[in-house]
Amino acid sequence: MSSNQFSTKFVAIVLLAVLVLTACGTAQTSAPSTPESSLPTATAGNQSIPNTGSVDWSTVSSVAAGGGMDALVAAAQAEGNLTVITLPRTWCDYGEMMDKFSAKYGIKIQDVNPDGGSADEVQAIKDNMQNKGPQAPDVLDIGAAYGPLASGQNPSGPNLLAPYKVATWDTIKGNNDASGLYYVDYYGVMSFEINTDVVKNVPQTWSDLLKPEYKGQVGLPGDPRASNEAAQSIYAAAINNGGTLDNIQPGLDFMKQLAKSGNLLPLIADSGVIAKGETPVSIHWSFNALADKQTFNGNPNIQVVYPTGTPWGGYYYQAISAYAPHPAAARLWEEYVYSDEGQTLLAKGFCIPARFGDLTSRNVISADILNALPSSDMFAKAVIPSIDQLSTARAAIKDQWDSVVGLDIKN
Amino acid sequence: MKTRKLNLWALFWAIVGLLYFFVPLYGTLDFSLRMERGRLSLKAYQVVLSDPQFLASFRYSATMGLITVAVSILLFLPTVYWLHLKLPQARPIVEILTTLPFIIPVIVFVFGLIRTFSGPPFHLTESAFTTDILITAGYVVLSMPYMYRSIDIGMRTIDVRGLTEAAQSLGSNWFQILFNVILPNLRGAVLGGALISFALVIGELILGDFLVRPALGPYMVQVGRDAAYEPAAMAMLSWGLTWICLILIQFAGRGRGSAPQLTGR
Amino acid sequence: MAEITANPESVKVVKKVRVAPAVQNWLGVLPFFLFVIVFLILPSTNLFAGAFQDQQGHFTLNNVKVILDPFVLKSYLVSLQVSVITSLLGGVMGFFIAYAITIGRAPRWMRAVLMSFSGLAANFGGVPLAFAFIATLGHTGFLTGILKHICFPAAGGAQTCPFDIYNAGFNLYSVTGLTLTYLYFQFPLMVLTIAPALEGLKREWREASQNLGGNTFHYWWHVALPILWPSILGSSILLFASAFGAYATAQALTGGTIYLVTIMIGAQIRGDVLNNPNEGYALAIGMVVVMAVCIVVYSLLQRRTTRWLKS
Repeated sequence: MSSNQFSTKFVAIVLLAVLVLTACGTAQTSAPSTPESSLPTATAGNQSIPNTGSVDWSTVSSVAAGGGMDALVAAAQAEGNLTVITLPRTWCDYGEMMDKFSAKYGIKIQDVNPDGGSADEVQAIKDNMQNKGPQAPDVLDIGAAYGPLASGQNPSGPNLLAPYKVATWDTIKGNNDASGLYYVDYYGVMSFEINTDVVKNVPQTWSDLLKPEYKGQVGLPGDPRASNEAAQSIYAAAINNGGTLDNIQPGLDFMKQLAKSGNLLPLIADSGVIAKGETPVSIHWSFNALADKQTFNGNPNIQVVYPTGTPWGGYYYQAISAYAPHPAAARLWEEYVYSDEGQTLLAKGFCIPARFGDLTSRNVISADILNALPSSDMFAKAVIPSIDQLSTARAAIKDQWDSVVGLDIKN
Repeated sequence: MKTRKLNLWALFWAIVGLLYFFVPLYGTLDFSLRMERGRLSLKAYQVVLSDPQFLASFRYSATMGLITVAVSILLFLPTVYWLHLKLPQARPIVEILTTLPFIIPVIVFVFGLIRTFSGPPFHLTESAFTTDILITAGYVVLSMPYMYRSIDIGMRTIDVRGLTEAAQSLGSNWFQILFNVILPNLRGAVLGGALISFALVIGELILGDFLVRPALGPYMVQVGRDAAYEPAAMAMLSWGLTWICLILIQFAGRGRGSAPQLTGR
Repeated sequence: MAEITANPESVKVVKKVRVAPAVQNWLGVLPFFLFVIVFLILPSTNLFAGAFQDQQGHFTLNNVKVILDPFVLKSYLVSLQVSVITSLLGGVMGFFIAYAITIGRAPRWMRAVLMSFSGLAANFGGVPLAFAFIATLGHTGFLTGILKHICFPAAGGAQTCPFDIYNAGFNLYSVTGLTLTYLYFQFPLMVLTIAPALEGLKREWREASQNLGGNTFHYWWHVALPILWPSILGSSILLFASAFGAYATAQALTGGTIYLVTIMIGAQIRGDVLNNPNEGYALAIGMVVVMAVCIVVYSLLQRRTTRWLKS
């Protein structure tokens, strides 16, 4: 390498280094402050955001209180951006929802960390409190236990959520927070996703999974200590093996048997390994299993089985961050998600929307979308835990998963 | 130079290495070709390449990779040189520090960066350009274990003091010593660190994601999360493209045809 | 280690007498320390402070106590075990491959491929790497399939298929499988870091050794190894650390059923169920301590063995 070439490169490098080092210099002079719990209420300051009117949308708790839909749309468009977090595009058809929202209102959406979980969402609010950039989430889609957790109700702590009630609030069915801090988004039931290219004799009940023919074929959607979906599959197994909403132990015992017999494969059953045929029997939420079936489009063939017995229902919450840099856009997003159009999109993505009853009573959802969803009979029978029951179950999983599934080191 | 004779022992190990590299990749490759039922096709690749965003994000990550390599050479080469020449007693401290990026979970690191630099007085996350500075710093940190250690191991094989004194007696200044005397003797080592660091940036997922920059890793998760065949195709493509870049870097770093001169002569 | 602790004080002492040289020596590494403090230490401690706080933000030592939990201790042990095994195997394998592509003079194209691909492979990890091994050595993997069908006639007209690996007790979703998978990024790391050192061996040394009547073994044991030893140790600590901190690969391959401390930390910090980030931070600080101890031991070992090898 000639030294001439080198000097040109070097100049470029030095310029960069100067930039970095100036950043260093300023960083040295002032220690950053961490206002972790200094802003417990919903009135996080967002003064620097351009507002069309005098309304501070970060404290507005309904569209009427903010001056009506037109005012909300105008304010949201002035913000121009919306940051959502942990929304996979195929999950409940959120991809189409984001595209349509962007097209309709001309608001750009950043989707942070589509592969993450609820814990990431909560952590992202905490660490972006002072951030006005695109990294700070405006709206959340969180597992049931995370509603009380993020709002500081259980365990007690700082509230990270802003109360807001969408125009269609009265028709949202479920365990909503009375003040509108979090509200049910959609439901699903626990199902078996079967790769019928591999498995010819399709299991129909939970106890079928224990049969020797499924040796090395059953997969969970994650590590139950980390994944809400996987944890709820234990609960579903419990309910169908003599357990109750207050007793998840039979579910843990069931998983123990499954692991002991060698039927349970420890890897995480995501789309790739399901299509590969490595975990031809996987336990998933109905909406994820049905979305896979659609995505795979017959290659391989997928059959979604709702195991006979008591169906297990689960749900997720929507919420707005109290520290949202785009408070109006966040509220407009919620209005859109809970509009007939948004709810229909959720249904199209195989999720049972929270306003399902209202929508079906007015025949808003088309028949072919309805037919792809779990039947309303089954959904009516489904057992859905309360938040307290969920936290008890989580504690049991936390304490026992290691020993129940026998995490010993086999070579 | 002696005449070449076939060294079977060396050939054996080279073949072991090649097999270990490419046999598992065949598993992914084969799967990526099976998007159409019952036959092999390139459909998954067509789907991936039909989105211009794929190549755009690759370009972004490759650029960041080059910048990261440049900054980290600039930062670590003088540091390691100095440690060997003047401060050998500080090496264990530096070694512990440079190993930290392996140990500190990246998620903790990225949230720490955001918490520290997003608010006043820095506001680094509010524009794309300043976020890029932040993310570059992050990438340099992540590549630190590789870059530091490659240079350090290379530095052990040369006579730092001898080279320095010789250059000083010829009237070189520090800058000339570092970049005209030491660096040419460390080519192999710096190159090794550069190859790893560049590939690291291209494959990096979490920094790009939480800092919301259009990098390749986040893009691949965004598009491929629930698809079956496309992620495999994307992985093959990104590995292939990265590999091409690495070969180019290797050629650029080695110089044409010249045998590496690593010993101080 | 004695030197590290002794040094800052000695700098202070020297300061009074002769300011310039000692301070100047530290000035040379100032940019590095500034960079590390600002972009690594500061941001991380910002969160790690949580290790000493409860959920409400009050000071507590409860999170640190979690390290004494038998399961947690076991997870550190398993992590250490996996790291030591994979860094030893990867180190040996990488050393020979580096030998092959440097002084071993393997064909030129093999050298070019192995060298450049090592940069890529050293960064492999997570779901894509796990998937590659699943598609190769899983129950439905292509290599598993090929091996299964290599059969020979056995006594009594039956057939024996000695390479049906799952019948023979192999399981990809075990420590063995994890080790195989980790090796994919471990040995390339060794190749890239040790190759320059091997290239640095001078031909004259070998010739001198031969002239003195030494055979190949003598040359490697008495000449090459003592020269390479610091580099080999330096590379192995890098390999060790890279395995010790690995997370995503194990998570994707074994769904958390292998008890690595990084998986525990991941479940605590990012998990939806365990989710006690502060305990996670405490566990991560524990890892930093373990790593620091390893590096100190390595430094001592290096000094000892280097002296011993040279004698």
